Amino acid sequence: MALSDYLVTDDLTIILALVAAGLFLLHNLYKPQALVHPILLGRQSDVARVRNPTESAVYRNYSTGMLGRFPLRPSKDQHVLLDLVKPDADAPRSLWSTKITNPELRERVANIGAGLMRLAGLAPQESNVLLLLNDGIEFLLADLALASSSIPSFTLSSLSLLSTVLENHPPSAIITQADFLTQLLEHVYDINESNNHTIIVVGDIDSLKLPRLNNIKIVPWDDLEREGASVEKAALPVPDPNEVFTVSFFETPSGGYEGVQLTHQNLTAGVAATRALMPPSNAISPLDTIISAYSLSTPYGRTIAYTALFEGTGFATVDSTKLIKRDDAPSLTGLKDLRTTANYRTPSPTILFVRPDHLDSLSTSILHEAKRSSWLLHNLAWRHKLANILEGFITKQSLWDRLVFDSARVKVMGQGAGTVRAVIVSGGPLEAQALTPARIALSVPVINAHSHPLVAGPVFASHALDLQTFPTSNAAPSPSAADAYAFTYLAPVGPPSVNVEAKLTGLDDAAVEAGADPIGALHVRGPSVGRPLSAEEEPEEEELRGWRATGERAKVAPNGTFKVAIGSKV
Amino acid sequence: MAFDLGTPVNTALLLYIFYAIQRIIFPSSSVPKTVPNEFKHGYTWMPKSHPPTLLFQTYTPKTLAPFNGEDGKRILLAIKGVVYDVTAGRNFYGPSGMYANFAGRDASRGMAKQSFEESMLTPIDQPLDKLEDLTPEEIENMKGWMEHFSSKYIICGRLVENDAV
Repeated sequence: MALSDYLVTDDLTIILALVAAGLFLLHNLYKPQALVHPILLGRQSDVARVRNPTESAVYRNYSTGMLGRFPLRPSKDQHVLLDLVKPDADAPRSLWSTKITNPELRERVANIGAGLMRLAGLAPQESNVLLLLNDGIEFLLADLALASSSIPSFTLSSLSLLSTVLENHPPSAIITQADFLTQLLEHVYDINESNNHTIIVVGDIDSLKLPRLNNIKIVPWDDLEREGASVEKAALPVPDPNEVFTVSFFETPSGGYEGVQLTHQNLTAGVAATRALMPPSNAISPLDTIISAYSLSTPYGRTIAYTALFEGTGFATVDSTKLIKRDDAPSLTGLKDLRTTANYRTPSPTILFVRPDHLDSLSTSILHEAKRSSWLLHNLAWRHKLANILEGFITKQSLWDRLVFDSARVKVMGQGAGTVRAVIVSGGPLEAQALTPARIALSVPVINAHSHPLVAGPVFASHALDLQTFPTSNAAPSPSAADAYAFTYLAPVGPPSVNVEAKLTGLDDAAVEAGADPIGALHVRGPSVGRPLSAEEEPEEEELRGWRATGERAKVAPNGTFKVAIGSKV
Repeated sequence: MAFDLGTPVNTALLLYIFYAIQRIIFPSSSVPKTVPNEFKHGYTWMPKSHPPTLLFQTYTPKTLAPFNGEDGKRILLAIKGVVYDVTAGRNFYGPSGMYANFAGRDASRGMAKQSFEESMLTPIDQPLDKLEDLTPEEIENMKGWMEHFSSKYIICGRLVENDAV
């Protein structure tokens, strides 16, 4: 047969040709557009042009640049801690179980401050106060009052440090809770100090059977507020932003303890960095509610709380942040921990600052519920969502969410499941393989960050819209097994935060000059990095001042993102 | 109208339609095993190499001299013990440039006295120029040049005596 006999066309051909052309256009052009252009993800840090031998170059966030200045405060008016409570924003919002406006908060802070001076006999810049409180409005009030009166406060990341701190850094007064009072009195007697102690107690003390009190004065918190409210308050002098307002004690992995001195500027810089975690199109606003899994006794936890205060959002913390627990209370993790915030009066959470165990628990529960409802639909939804992520796109409003995932989320997170709009994870190792299922399950930006007890604010934070999925690479030879595991399996934590610069020391120069990724001990510097108590004299040169060793090892990838092997974690 | 699915053209079109429908309903969701080095080849990509970073090194007049830009090498020059990488200024300091004399040498005296003559340079095997006979204005001029170089080029090393290494 001739060729023309093969190419017989009829009306059906026309129809089929049109359909085929339509499908071709649909398949090739209707691709989702990446949320952030991949060219930006190839250069996330700005790198210095010169490096010293055995050290890496200095890395900064690309948006700050090597020549840029670090943001020191969220906006030009915030110099000291109390400025973070904006006096002219008078919309009420819930902090834990208290609905309060900013002017009311400031008034209460002034009352507490006046009460502390009168009843507890504290003097500015001479006394220090130990805060042994669980996270709550009283902690914030005490912190703000002490900071505004230039009285340094001490906080502990865990109660095991109590005896050490009481011995080495005896405070003039202690603020604690009623259920811890008896144990605290035992500790104080053990130390056998002959000084007078003042203990301010939050909660009901009438029902406690207190031992004989010789040189200890017990002041109820409510008396403090009442006393402060009843007197004329003189205007206090504004503290210097570089003045230390708190010392936060934490345990080091080697078993000792370390304290970090934080100034007002460290905290305002930390708030500026935490605000920068969210992209400008999706910034934190007064309509949000922030849930934090970090205790206010740690610098990062405090920064998150003050970011919430500054932005006027609702705020609550999960139960695992409690410093003082009942003896029989189990320590909660994962979903059970997240659900404890339902006890507070905050509206449903929108931004979660959580740990990897919370994220894992959430994503596995949601995916399990989705599989249970319909296996076929779940498979299809998973394929489509994963295909979108591989193109760099994720959304919570797609067809597959409506069909499959929304109901799963409601079953896991309750009625407010649709409100979660961002999750920021830090505080533990997060595996790279766990990140993509979490992104599919939640369909919101999941930001992998890294925090450290010395730094107010995050140290590293990944780009909010970064959805890159790297396959698990072959393990490069490295001296320690912990390093090999971390650098192969953990997810990258992104570039340094907007006001932190990082460098690695102890490098193998020959390997790095040959093109290998730099691996070394991590040092950080910046306005949000506090000063450790054990820091020695600062060197004279500008280049060498201010670098703090974090005690962790890190590796840099060619696109400027870091991977950190967790060392001394909060 | 005649419908004949058996004709080759119709069959081919029908097969293509089935293929396209299958790709739309079941998209490919496999994570690629190798990571591309260009952003055009994929959303998940990694640049091939780190941004270039110079290692801060200690040079002597003898080890500095080869870096005069010939054969595509870097161009370095030193002022008052500070070595600058001026490869970006190949037009000036490269082999055919106006100031080619300074490439790979200690240019302190020339910068101070504003001269590019050979007589401003000390031979490589001699000790470094002590610059004792310069007037204060010449020292100021040299410091001004050092500031200009610090902002325009990269400080990548220091210059010490031949036997100090």
